[in-house]
Parts: sequence; structure tokens; C-alpha cells
Amino acid sequence: MKRKLRIYFPFINAGLQEATTYRANWFFMILGNVLGCFVSYFIWNAVFLSGGNDTMNGFTMPQMVVYIFLMFLTSTLISSGGTYDIGEEIRDGSISMRMIKPISYNSTFLFQELGNKIMTVCILIIPLVLGVEICRTIFTGEIQFNIIGFLLYIISCVFAYLINFFFNICFGFIAFVIKYLWGANMMKNCIVGFLSGTMIPFTFLPDFLEKLFLFLPFASLNYTPVMIYMGMYSGTELLFYMGLQLFWVLVFWGLSKLLWRVATKHLCVQGG
Amino acid sequence: MIYVENLRKEFKKTIKDPGVIGSLKALFHPHNEKVIAVDDISFNVPEGEVMGFIGPNGAGKSTVIKMLTGILTPTSGKCTINGKNPAEDRKNYVREIGVVFGQRTQLWWDLPLRETYGVLKEIYEVPDDKYKKRMAFLNEVLDLESFITSPVRTLSLGQRMRADIAASLLHSPKVLFLDEPTIGLDVVVKDNIRNAIEYINKQENTTVILTTHDLADIELLSKRIVMIDKGKNVFDGTISELKSKYGQIRELHFETDTQNADKVLAYKEHFGFVDDDISIKTEGTGVQVRFNSEVVPVSEMLSYTLGKININDISVKDADIEEIIRRLYKREV
Amino acid sequence: MKNIKRMLRMHRIFVSQEIKRMMEYKGDFIVGIIGFLLGQFFNLLFLWIIFSQIPSLVGWTLEQVIFIYGFSLIPKGLDHLLFDNLWSIGHFTVRKGDFDKYLTRPINPLFHVMVEKLQIDALGELIMGIALICVTLPTLAIEWSVVKIILILLVIPFATLIYTAIKIATAAIAFWTKRSGNITYMFYMVNDFAKYPVTIYNNFVKAVITYIIPFAFTAFYPANYILTGENPLFNIGLTVVISLVLLVISVLIWNRGIKAYESAGS
Repeated sequence: MKRKLRIYFPFINAGLQEATTYRANWFFMILGNVLGCFVSYFIWNAVFLSGGNDTMNGFTMPQMVVYIFLMFLTSTLISSGGTYDIGEEIRDGSISMRMIKPISYNSTFLFQELGNKIMTVCILIIPLVLGVEICRTIFTGEIQFNIIGFLLYIISCVFAYLINFFFNICFGFIAFVIKYLWGANMMKNCIVGFLSGTMIPFTFLPDFLEKLFLFLPFASLNYTPVMIYMGMYSGTELLFYMGLQLFWVLVFWGLSKLLWRVATKHLCVQGG
Repeated sequence: MIYVENLRKEFKKTIKDPGVIGSLKALFHPHNEKVIAVDDISFNVPEGEVMGFIGPNGAGKSTVIKMLTGILTPTSGKCTINGKNPAEDRKNYVREIGVVFGQRTQLWWDLPLRETYGVLKEIYEVPDDKYKKRMAFLNEVLDLESFITSPVRTLSLGQRMRADIAASLLHSPKVLFLDEPTIGLDVVVKDNIRNAIEYINKQENTTVILTTHDLADIELLSKRIVMIDKGKNVFDGTISELKSKYGQIRELHFETDTQNADKVLAYKEHFGFVDDDISIKTEGTGVQVRFNSEVVPVSEMLSYTLGKININDISVKDADIEEIIRRLYKREV
Repeated sequence: MKNIKRMLRMHRIFVSQEIKRMMEYKGDFIVGIIGFLLGQFFNLLFLWIIFSQIPSLVGWTLEQVIFIYGFSLIPKGLDHLLFDNLWSIGHFTVRKGDFDKYLTRPINPLFHVMVEKLQIDALGELIMGIALICVTLPTLAIEWSVVKIILILLVIPFATLIYTAIKIATAAIAFWTKRSGNITYMFYMVNDFAKYPVTIYNNFVKAVITYIIPFAFTAFYPANYILTGENPLFNIGLTVVISLVLLVISVLIWNRGIKAYESAGS
């Protein structure tokens, strides 16, 4: 185990280096996404003003604000670029080079991304969580921050990240079928964006859709961690949704292994 | 044809300390330093000349070429081609020149090669009849016929280079810039490309500026060499001038049955050669001696060698240009 | 005049090249178009769900909001379709030194970059935009006049120009910083504000998207004129003026940027 970690340490470092090199570029992207949050904020503000009620489908306006910014934080924390990396390798054929290396592709990539994530966490999590908590405190008049809830949120984010990581790797194999990865990825992002609750909380959907979406793997990505942070789940419900997350981690992990095996066989047959 | 006067280019370079902390520091408090890439370079090239433009890595060759092709704006100084200046009239200036960067392509990657020429015809406003003639000529010289209908991404490196050279010549430029035109090519393809360049230079009196790391390109194609190092002019003259100025290096080659000939001869001790002035290579019975003929004249070397050991066969020749330039680079760096 | 004729001819040549390229990769382009259609579809679904809970959005009906949304897709889609190559300048063309190519050719580099590629994915946005306008228009009881139709047709190219100008200016930053793709992205996120009626924003946001990063003129103001017929001088006139001012500024930035371009490699 120790030896294994030592092999992968350089990858963490490389990811961290990469992240600091392109920091200005990264910073502008984050700023752009924050602006997107403000667009959502104003729309919801107008919606609550027009609706006339303090609560809509279980959400008050302050809760909605918290929801929007937590969604943004969660998506940034769990984002993963596996689709492009594996897709590009399939396209230019360098995936066959992977087969002759003595370390697992998934792991090298995972650790490289972890390095990248360290910076994201350091820079984003403190101001955002602080902002969200100040917001909640002002709106309700008392401190809402709950350390256990926060820790559960972090654990849930780790599960979500793993689901996203393996899902993206699986999706990358689509490059065998669709050459235009950018377009395919965009399609995926649209669908995942909606089904993971980033655009709108599931409670706003018709009943049967809400139930369906909760069971799909996408809810385990963003929706579950955010709901946990907001204290919407407790007791058996909490256990159930985190268990579901774990279930999807295993499913996509298994699927990625399977696809990898199919793909390498495919390559052998083709002689690629 | 080409006049380059006191060309100078400065870049700003951000200095970054290593590691994460260094990166963060640079983010908030960037520290810039001025780097002089090209420092007061001047030369002229008459019409129809093939000029070899050389220098070690990082000498500023590419920067000069990029200023001459209108890509970079000089910090000071100027260059004119046919009386035109890229700073004043870039569009008319670039009509006079053709450019090939060996490591990049200007061909349309996803389309059949023919399409690239169709678009370039429009960009350079080549009339139909001229275009037809030109394509026939380029096809004859560079032999494009066999792959002109293939998508560019499927071409081999050699084919791509021929296609790129043809693309740069489509508008019959007066000056052709070739930056590493033979890089990564095999011997036969290199030969083809050299022949084509030579043929075009002879046929159309095209002025050619050639940068390369393969000195055989220069030796075969150009009479004149301009060499720069650290942004400064180091040498400007013909190859024979280069040889007479720096090329006192001669090569002595002989066969001998004497054991340990180099020890017996002990040139260094006898003549007092210093480091660079002599080198000896032994291979079986053959011995190759390179020496500086300014320190010791050839005749003296010969008589000393013949007197000292048994010689079966002996010859003397001029050192090749590669050897001279290797020595020049070393001395400068 | 001769110049403009030549530019049009060049544009046609580049477009025909792009169409040939597309024929080589048909499937990819369908994927792209569907991708963009899907993105718009989910945005609409979002609006529809919201409106099922409220009677109107601070006074705007669902039809009106969708009309504004649909109209916003037209200039955006046109710019996306025709001048998308500007994106790649900030993302990699400058960084990798590939911009050299444009500078060794006897046509204006900005023009060359702009018309070189055709982004067919944008058809997804244009199709959706036109469809939304067509569906909502009959329900909106708009008074029509010849002048109004002329003004609307006139304003679309200028609204498109606002996008293009902002892309030129932000792409040009790469000449100094090597990389500016995400600056362009950031500005693009601002444009999301313009898809909805500006009356939902507070005064600060309103002022920013009207006078500083004037995306409100790409959609809401012209669409508001179509809906109400009010204030053509502001809604249409200022769109034209602002787009031209932006274009001049961005071309100035671009030209200074080219002088500062440092290429890549030694």
C-alpha cells in the first residue's frame, strides 16, 4: 500500500503544478461560473417575488440562494475531465501505449486530478462555505453551521467525485463511436446538468419525475451532497442516499473496468 | 533584394520562483526581465542568392526570420524586401515572400491537398491561367500528382513538406524563407527537397533564405552564410571565406602497421597543440588526425608523421564545414 | 469597394471549404447540433416548470419571456455560426504560435481568422431561436408596421456585432497573456443575463449589462421594442451605436495586440 502510494505521488504533484501554472485561466472560468450563479439568483428572486409565497416546494428564498451556491461549489469539487483524456487517447491511438505500462491508467489519472483538486479545495471551499454560512446566519438570525453535516457533505462529495470520475471514463469510450467528442460531451453535460438538479431542485418537478430522478445515478452527483449539507436528509433517509451513492460508485467502477477490457480486446483485434 | 539594418528585438520575460509558493508570488507580484533576443543584426541579400542562416539553438535565428516575414514587430531597426517594409505595408510585403516552417503546416488539415491550393490561389489573387501554369510547374518540380487528391492528414512527412513548399511558391514569391525544411526527413527525401529548391532557385532566380541544423543542406545549396549567436552577427561571408578564416583545420588520414600510432606520434607534446587544435581517431589500422594548420603547416605535419612511423597510404583534405561550425559554436558558447 | 468585393469572395471560398470539410465528418456535425438543441431544450424546460408555479415573472408572461429568450438566440447563433474561430485564438492558436500563419498572408489577419471556420453546431441555437419566435409570436398581439419590420431586420446584424466585438477584444488579450479563452468564457457567462427581461435585475446589474458589458442590447432591448414598440431610439438606435463603438474599440485592441504578438518557440 505504501509503495503504491509512492508510485502515484508524482502524479498528485504534477496535477498541482499544472493547476498553479494555468491559475489565471482557471480563475476566470470560476469567475464566469459565479456570474452564472448570479443569473440564477436573480431569476429565483423574481420567481419568489412573483409567487407571493415565502415557501415554494419546500424552499424559501434564502434556502434557494444557499442551494444555488452549494450546487456551484459541489459541481466544481466533483468535476472530472476523464471523458476528454480517454477519448483523445482512443482517437489518436495512444491508448494502446497504456496497455504496456505497469500502472493502472485509472489510478494515474485519478491521482493527477486529485492534485488539481487540492488547489480547488484550498481556494474555493473556505470563501464559499463562509459566504453560505454568513448568508444563512443573517437570514435566520442564528448560526446554522453544523460540523457533522459539513463532514457528511465532504464524504458525500468524495462519493460523488468517484461516481463522476468513473462515469466520465465510461463515457470517454464513446469516442469509439462518435469522433466529435466536444459535441458528445456537451450533450452529456446538458443531460447531467438537468438530471443532477443543478438547474432546478427536484421538488419542483412532478411527483413521479422527482422519484425517478432521485434513483438515477445523476442525483448522487450533486443533489445528494447539497441536500445533506442543507440538512434536508436525516436518519435512515441519510443512510439510504449515501448507500445509493456507494452503490453507484461500485457500478461505474465495474463498468469502467469492463469497458476497458472490451476496448483493449477491440484494439487487439484491430491491431491498433 | 533584402536589406536588414540594425534589427533588434526585446522580449519581456516573467521570472518565476520554483514551486507553488513561487507561482503564487508571481500571481500577485510579477517580476519582469528584459531579454534581448536579437541585438543589432544587419545584412543584405542580393537577388537570386541562396543564403544559409545558421546559429546554435537559442541564437535568435527564428526571431530574425519571424521579423523578416512580418510576424514579429522589431523593437528597432528595419528590414525591407524589394523596397517594401512590413511595418508600413504588411500585405504587399508578404506578397513578395513565401514561407515554410518545417515544424508547422499551412495546409488545410482535413481536406484534400488540392483544396489548399485553391484557397491560396484566392488569398494571393493568382489569375486562373497563371495558376494552371504554376501548378503544372510545381507538380513537375515537387511531384505532387500522386497525393494531390489525398487529405492532408494522411500525407507522409516528406509528402507534406513538398506540399508545403509548393504552397509557399504558388504566388511566385521573389523571396523564399525555409525554416528547417528537411527536419525529420530521411536521406532520399532530403535529397529530393534540396534538388527542388536548387532547381527553383536556378529557374526563377528566387532568393532563398535557409535556416537548418543539417549543414549538408547549406553546403549543397548556398554559397553565402550568415551566422548569429546570442542575437549578434558572428560571421557573414561565403563558404570559402568561412573555410579560409576558420577552416585552418585539415584532416590527415593514413594507414599504418605501427602499434599505438597516436602514442608514438605524440603530436600534442611535439608541436605544442592546445585542446581544440588537434584530435585523433584510430580505427583498426586507419588513423584520422584533425589539426589546425595555422599552428603547424601541413608540410611539417606530413614530414614529421612520415618520419616517425610506417605509413602505407596517406591523404590530406580540407575539413568539412560541419567541423568548422562545430568549433565556432563551441568557441562562442 | 474592390476591397469589400474581395472580402465577400474570400468569405465565400472559406465557407465552401468548411462545407466540404463537414461532408467528411457528417456525423460529428449532427452530434454538435443536437448537443446545442438539447442545451436549449433543458433551459426551456426550466422556464416552463417555473412558470407552472407562478402566474407571471414580475409582470412578464411565459410567452413574452420565451420570445425574448428565442430572440436572444438569433444574434448569438449568428455570431457563433460565422465567427466562432475567434475562440480558438484565446484558447490555443496564440499559445502554440499557430497565429504566425495569418501574418504571412496578404489579407487582413482579423478577417482571415473570423471567416476561416464555420461552426455548424450553432444551427442548434438558430433553429431553436427561430422556432421559439415562430411559436410565441402569434400569441403576443404585436402591432406591426413596415418601419418596425425594417428596424428589426436592421438591428439583428448589429446585435450580432456586439458578440463578435467582445470576442475580438477578449481573444486579443491572448497576444499579451498567451491564453485568454476563459476571459472570453467569463464574458459569455455575462450574456446569460441578457436572455431574460432586465427588469428582474437590480440597478447595478442592469447598469452593467446596459452600459459596461452591453449584452442587454443583444436581446432584451431589441426584443422589448418588438414586443412594445416603445422607445425605438433607445432600443434600436443605441444597439447600433453601441455595437459600432465596441467594434472600433475591439479592433484597436486587436491591432495593438498583433504588434505585441511574440509567437512561440525560440
